[in-house]
Amino acid sequence: MFKKILVANRGEIAVRVIRSCREMGIATVAVYSEIDRRALHVRLADEAVWIGPAPATQSYLDGGRILAAARKTGAEAIHPGYGFLSENADFARNVLQAGLVFIGPPPEAIQAMGNKSGARALMQSNQVPIVPGYHATDDDVTLAVKAIDIGVPLLIKAAAGGGGKGMRVVTDLKNLEEALAAARRESQHAFGDTHMILERFLPRARHIEFQILADRHGNILHLFERECSVQRRQQKIIEETPSPFLDEELRVRMGRAAVAAARAVGYQNAGTIEFIVDPEKRDFYFLEMNTRLQVEHPVTELVVGLDLVQWQIRIAAGEVLPFDQADLSQRGHAIECRLYAEDPANHFLPAIGKILNFIEPKGPGLRVDSGFSVGDQVTIHYDPLIAKVIAWAEDRPSAIRRMLFALRETVLLGLTHNGQFLQEVLMDEQFKLGNVYTTWIEETFGDWQPPMCALPTEVLVAAALTFFHSTPASGSEDLARVAAGKDPYSPWQSGSSFRLSSGGPPETSPIRSTGTGSGLLQTEESSDAATEER
Amino acid sequence: MRYRFQHLDRIYEVVFEHQGSAYLANIDGQPYTFEVLDAQPGVLSLQFEGRPIMVYWAKDSAAQWLARDGCTYQLQKPTSRRQASMVEDRYGGAILAPMPAQVLGLRVVEGDPVEKGQTLMLLEAMKMEIPILAPLAGRVVRLLVKPGKFVEKDQLLIEIGE
Repeated sequence: MFKKILVANRGEIAVRVIRSCREMGIATVAVYSEIDRRALHVRLADEAVWIGPAPATQSYLDGGRILAAARKTGAEAIHPGYGFLSENADFARNVLQAGLVFIGPPPEAIQAMGNKSGARALMQSNQVPIVPGYHATDDDVTLAVKAIDIGVPLLIKAAAGGGGKGMRVVTDLKNLEEALAAARRESQHAFGDTHMILERFLPRARHIEFQILADRHGNILHLFERECSVQRRQQKIIEETPSPFLDEELRVRMGRAAVAAARAVGYQNAGTIEFIVDPEKRDFYFLEMNTRLQVEHPVTELVVGLDLVQWQIRIAAGEVLPFDQADLSQRGHAIECRLYAEDPANHFLPAIGKILNFIEPKGPGLRVDSGFSVGDQVTIHYDPLIAKVIAWAEDRPSAIRRMLFALRETVLLGLTHNGQFLQEVLMDEQFKLGNVYTTWIEETFGDWQPPMCALPTEVLVAAALTFFHSTPASGSEDLARVAAGKDPYSPWQSGSSFRLSSGGPPETSPIRSTGTGSGLLQTEESSDAATEER
Repeated sequence: MRYRFQHLDRIYEVVFEHQGSAYLANIDGQPYTFEVLDAQPGVLSLQFEGRPIMVYWAKDSAAQWLARDGCTYQLQKPTSRRQASMVEDRYGGAILAPMPAQVLGLRVVEGDPVEKGQTLMLLEAMKMEIPILAPLAGRVVRLLVKPGKFVEKDQLLIEIGE
């Protein structure tokens, strides 16, 4: 087994990988950009290496710097997480050439699946069904002609893409040119490649994927499906397993196709075969293979009872899978909700800000994978995923109930997020029935606004009570006064015996307002001051 | 003691008074009695109208954030910057950045006539392209950003006039 692993990622997945390593007694090396100097993954690792400025292209996407960090710290293996370099065949190759182990598939498998046009051709020749579409020469003129053949709605996809980036739905061919240009730009930016493929866009289709686990000795197993149809901007927000749509017959057929697809590229380690499923005809088509760990892997872990990150590491170290397909079964039901810093009322645009208060839900059957803690900044540089809330229960209705409880218990303050939106989706009748498809969110919640109901009175009272609990970050005089317990408005001045002044309006308060024109108080150091006082 | 807050489009006013060991909050002419059971940084426990409740809270320089029962509330001091800019904008063509982002490219120059829904510029944040569309037809009166520039949320990007 490895003695030291470098985790070439950030956020919740870096934290997740580091935790499995720690459990296995493996030392960890974190890498970080300038802006992540005090990020959670850095604080949890045994060693941390600075790899560049905030932009990902100069840090987390810079394979050379990451390899240098591995050499410098003597790490034997590199876990790429998801995103960034996880599906970069050149990086995987460079890792191997440096004499290190890449915790993932062989570079050839990444390459074969990473190019969507090549993968489509390969699947076709291995009798894995593919979506009707086009995947050869990709100049604008050819694509325009092929687009007419395929018809609308049409999906333009970056051949090198994933995660909804470099992807556009075209519903009217007159928008093809602009959509194509935008997809190419986005793809160039995200993947450094402008190649595009076309696929028929199957309206109201479901997205169901199969988890693959393969060792280096030819054993390829699937760990059943994940239903990932609840998406916005072509990115998943709620995932679950088992799928409420699949019956045993279809599950077995899709599982076999998934294993065949993985075998076609000589797959090793953890990976995911994504299918789209036509709910009317109950037909399924290969969409792509993600040659890495998925964001939503925890739901599989809870239902199958395996730690996928641990198995990734054990497989990379050469271990043989000690179980076969017949040993695996699905127990109970698991749901994951992705808590994003984004605004569901404004096209799900990413939000940024400082996390001022964050309380994770706890209880039987609950798990939270998060990459942030109080005081951390969510910036425009990286993905706005704050945490994944995962609930397990005996059956689907209980899992939904438990997830709703978990989201109600979650406190995340300081930035706009989708917590309330997720609750409304979970409470929707169609979701409860399992009648979801990839455009369902857009069609059902397209014009969603947070309920305009009046502010609860108790919340308003709490706002007033905490209005003056603050100490300007720069005001040493104020800090001293609070420490001496002389702040007439502070609820903290004498434990739980709370006193209010009936004095003048806020404007006459001796506490200095430092807010930027808003009149509210700066409270950066408030927690510290309050602790100090006790 | 009088406090005023803005939540979404509404202004709220709270007036506190002593009443024995408890307190009285007056909101819109309605009295509510409460006691503070515990006050911690980030969480407040109240006995509110005879009912124990917990409210989570935090503050930054722009807002007070509160959470209760899975709902998050962002309260501001009345008259935000957004409102101030709306007042000056008689034509309705002042276009603000929807979020902090980098300007990817411009599709118009000053003086250009624009149609409603036309793409004016592209922003990028977190690797996602965000097109900025004209909310109405008119002419580009002012263009205040350049490609590559980082913009703040609500920063004025472009002004469409008659």
